[in-house]
Amino acid sequence: MKTKKLIWIAMLLLTGVLLAIGVTRSGSPLTQQDRIDSLTSHLACPTCSGESVFVSRAPAAQAIRTEVARQVGAGLRSDDEIISYIEQRFGGQVLLVPRATGLDSLVWSLPVAALIIAISLLVGAFARWSRNKPGAPSAQDEKLVEQALAQVSDDQSKG
Amino acid sequence: MFSKYLVKVVSGVVAFVLVLLLWVLIISKPSDGQVARSPLLGQPAPSIVASTIDDQPFVLERRKGSWVVLNFFNSTCVPCINEHPLLVDFANREFENVNRAELYTVVNDDSDIAVREFFSKNGGSWTKLKDDNGAIAVAFGVARVPETWIIDPNGLVRLRVTGELSKGLLEAQLDKLREEFTS
Repeated sequence: MKTKKLIWIAMLLLTGVLLAIGVTRSGSPLTQQDRIDSLTSHLACPTCSGESVFVSRAPAAQAIRTEVARQVGAGLRSDDEIISYIEQRFGGQVLLVPRATGLDSLVWSLPVAALIIAISLLVGAFARWSRNKPGAPSAQDEKLVEQALAQVSDDQSKG
Repeated sequence: MFSKYLVKVVSGVVAFVLVLLLWVLIISKPSDGQVARSPLLGQPAPSIVASTIDDQPFVLERRKGSWVVLNFFNSTCVPCINEHPLLVDFANREFENVNRAELYTVVNDDSDIAVREFFSKNGGSWTKLKDDNGAIAVAFGVARVPETWIIDPNGLVRLRVTGELSKGLLEAQLDKLREEFTS
């Protein structure tokens, strides 16, 4: 029992460490082209469905790619500022990864909330089931079983 | 008992949302040729430094003091072809106006030769701007042509119309804006 608890604690710790590494590690692109590719792969082509600006060959996507490349080349704006520039012009639907602010944050928070509610409900249900487990038989139960067994043996001896 | 009540509540909410969605679908109008929203409305127009198809320089900021109408165009786009006579009528009307609006075509993903041929065949002597890399279209958030924008004499964006213009729409909107913003 103690070993089981330790394993669970170790797993939780490991998950926490991995999440912390995932959140804090720097994944910034190395070259300007990497930066352009990374930015355009986070932007949706405004005239196609489900394609990023990075892969799309539509004229509107090409124009955005060129503009991103121009702004990266100029070196005057950060990645967030370039994404905001495009978003301000084409609207929030141009973002392939929704922002974690305002109404968009529901995209991230709702699944987490649903997961927490589902886990809570499951824990509640398991607890209820374990509480309702049948207990030890009462004296009356035992008497009933004895009577039934006696009846069966009587029937067998008669038969 | 509680679960039966919960089922009723959840079913009620789902039914309400479905009815709401249906209602939105029924009352929503098609977006073509409609005055559209943009975060740029009321904001200074994006800075445009371009050249005309006759290789003359064009700087949008220098047009301050005049109403400016930008029409994003491609000679192969059917709605652009359809709305062209309306733009010609608009340009003729404005030519006679003392406080005339300046009309510019922004050529979107098209060759100069095709544009010249189109205008010599269909009329329209106003200035045509090159947008070779689509920088002007991106600056205004134009993904599909045609789109028409109005910029006031102070350089602020006042109107965006997406899709094919309907008869009289541009004139009516410009007159309304002139009344509202000309002191």
